[in-house]
Amino acid sequence: MSTHADAHDHHHHEPGLQHQFENMGQQEESVSIGMWMFLVQEIMFFGGLFTAYMVFRWRYPMAFAEGSNHLDAFWGGLNTIVLIVSSLTMALTVYYAQKGMRNMQVIMIALTMLFGTVFLGVKAIEYTDKYNNGLIPVAGWNKKSTGAEVAEKAQAFAFPWEIRTEAADAGHGEKKPYINPRGDFQWNYGHKLVEQAEKGGYLTADEKIHYYSNGVFDPFKFQEKVRLFYFIYFVMTGLHALHMVVGLLLMAWLLWKAWLGTFSALYYSPVEMSGLYWHFVDIVWIFLFPLLYLLGRHFIH
Amino acid sequence: MADNHADHQHIGIPGYLAVFAILIVGTWITYVVAFWDLDAIFPGANTLLALAIAFTKMTVVMLYFMHVRWSKELIWLSAVASFFWLIIMFAFTMQDYFTRVSGVFSS
Repeated sequence: MSTHADAHDHHHHEPGLQHQFENMGQQEESVSIGMWMFLVQEIMFFGGLFTAYMVFRWRYPMAFAEGSNHLDAFWGGLNTIVLIVSSLTMALTVYYAQKGMRNMQVIMIALTMLFGTVFLGVKAIEYTDKYNNGLIPVAGWNKKSTGAEVAEKAQAFAFPWEIRTEAADAGHGEKKPYINPRGDFQWNYGHKLVEQAEKGGYLTADEKIHYYSNGVFDPFKFQEKVRLFYFIYFVMTGLHALHMVVGLLLMAWLLWKAWLGTFSALYYSPVEMSGLYWHFVDIVWIFLFPLLYLLGRHFIH
Repeated sequence: MADNHADHQHIGIPGYLAVFAILIVGTWITYVVAFWDLDAIFPGANTLLALAIAFTKMTVVMLYFMHVRWSKELIWLSAVASFFWLIIMFAFTMQDYFTRVSGVFSS
């Protein structure tokens, strides 16, 4: 666009003004409308997944609660905090861009990228845990184990959180050794909440049809309903993580531009638009955290 | 042009830190209340409270971090419209599932 900039020199000497706009005000407005239209379609995009979540949680609340209780709320909560901090540094990036302070912009973008990376790292830890415990809903995608190495694993070093998880499982259901020769989805954590719901009289008739065979609890039928929860968990958090990766690429580009000192009080639209995207991804997580990680916690007494 | 940009300072660093504090406190409350049995009050109270807090957090992020508070009416319209369409999608889907009973058409 630099060739056109000369032709429009008589305007305002605006550094970032593209030739098709009259002035910076008009350009800013057009750019933000465009970005918001994109965000609106993103909201609908994630909205479809939230609809799937609503439908299946409505039908199988106990299977969802059981599946959710096995997610680690500590990691989920930590990631929520990490994303909120990154949102703050992103907001400050825009603030410093508006002030034209190059060094602070660079620092804030770098911090945003750091927290974004921490988020993805925590996600990787969580996904690895699901992989090791046969909780990835696609057959064959889990860790394959014939059970031979189980005894060996008992002697191995364990991180504090692993011990904590196993202690929680001990109260939650019977812990079986991990035997999964073909890497199938498996649910080894019992169905305490279903029993509790049946005793409490709040197990719906619909759920009873889908968890029971001939009036007897059917672990396989129940496992398939928990599997639905894990499908939704992986698609929603996976799509969110993908947005984080895109956000990080955007930040890398922004870091380069900010390093060159591109942005000033007169031209900072790219920073503000990237900020909108980053905050949107944060908002999605604000909903994912309670809906996926915390939905059945109050059933445990 | 210059005076047009003077009002772009928004709420400044103390304001951003205040929003940040609200978000952290909101997260903490969400975590703590998830372990309380609010279903004793009415079924779904836990989810409702969690969503209420999430909506509050989202509103604060949109108004202050995303600068919607200082944006043009068209931005307000797009933001509100997206939730309007979302509600249509949720309501039209769920009115079906909410009114089904166990039986021939439910399995």
